[in-house]
Amino acid sequence: MNEFEKLEAELKGLQPAAPSEQFISRLEDALGDAGNVAMRCMPDKEEGGAHPSKTTSSPIISFPRLVAFSGLAGLGLAAVWAMVFYLSSSLAPAGTEDLVSDLAPEESQALAEESSLAQVEDPESPLHGLSLEEIQDVSVMPVSGWLDPQMNERFLRVVDEGIFERPGGLPARRVRHFFMDETLWSNPASDTRILSTTPREEVILIELDTY
Amino acid sequence: MKLYPMNTEPIWKSWFARHGAKLLLFARQQSRRPDEAEDLLQEAFVRIWRLYGHTGEVSPGLVYRAIRRLAIDWARSIDRRQARENKVALDAPLSFSFDRTLEQDERKQALLRAVERLPAQQKEVVTLKIWGELTFDEIARTLDESLNTVASRYRYALQKLKDWVPEEMEGKKEDSSAKS
Repeated sequence: MNEFEKLEAELKGLQPAAPSEQFISRLEDALGDAGNVAMRCMPDKEEGGAHPSKTTSSPIISFPRLVAFSGLAGLGLAAVWAMVFYLSSSLAPAGTEDLVSDLAPEESQALAEESSLAQVEDPESPLHGLSLEEIQDVSVMPVSGWLDPQMNERFLRVVDEGIFERPGGLPARRVRHFFMDETLWSNPASDTRILSTTPREEVILIELDTY
Repeated sequence: MKLYPMNTEPIWKSWFARHGAKLLLFARQQSRRPDEAEDLLQEAFVRIWRLYGHTGEVSPGLVYRAIRRLAIDWARSIDRRQARENKVALDAPLSFSFDRTLEQDERKQALLRAVERLPAQQKEVVTLKIWGELTFDEIARTLDESLNTVASRYRYALQKLKDWVPEEMEGKKEDSSAKS
């Protein structure tokens, strides 16, 4: 046992006086907006009402996290809105609204339940909430029967941009090549072809000897 | 008093509730005048929190270091001012920086008086180690001293306290008997 252990324990038993409320309030004013950048979630009062200083494990909401969360939430809401709008305008058969309004309340409720059941997740579908058949209906293209895509790189032109000085100070010749990348999907059964083209540039640096 | 969104509180408040008392104690030791300790702590804390507060957690060592450096800067300007005004700074007793309930406990009072008698360099190491709960490495960085120097000062300080506390208690008894 350390010879000073008892003394250290005694000293630790002396508690420094806490700063006054007046000082805390002064500090709050001095911090200004800098004090509100990082906020802590407090537990509900019904759940115990512990002192704030003892809730060290409660989640921290810092400013960057708040921005990220609100961004994601906004993105999610936009995606849901777009999906609902898309489904209501594209998937609902023409005249459905009139049909529903003409039905009795029990029948319209059953119809609503049936339409919600139609959105059951299809594991084969690449789109959430849409079955393969629905995708086929919407896109007016077959879902199966596609061949492997053919990719082709088409060279367009080359431009010699001349000599320039690299960050290290050595000279180099810069040559820029322009390409067009093409991808072709074809479906022989429906005689359908889809061609995607993407422009691409490649820069080649040719080192030059210095004399 | 500011209003915040429901169930939220600025993180600095809980941080300050944990470390404020210890920082204020250190600021009182570092400041030349008792009335400037709060100003010193405020200035140091606001500077550090503005820099690192957005991370949600700030190392107390940074604030201790800021207090010390500010105290040195302020002491230089105070020295100049005092030379002009010919005033002498007054030290407040250490017991002012602790809970007033200690006044009832003779042993604890003797302990505080013994701490007060320590040389300033040893007193600041004891403060940072015992109440600041910093490691020797952190203390060395805060005080710009070597690890060995800091550890030796701490050991010398504890040895002195061990010897002085009984003396202080005896002295108190003699005082009270003389009064009666």
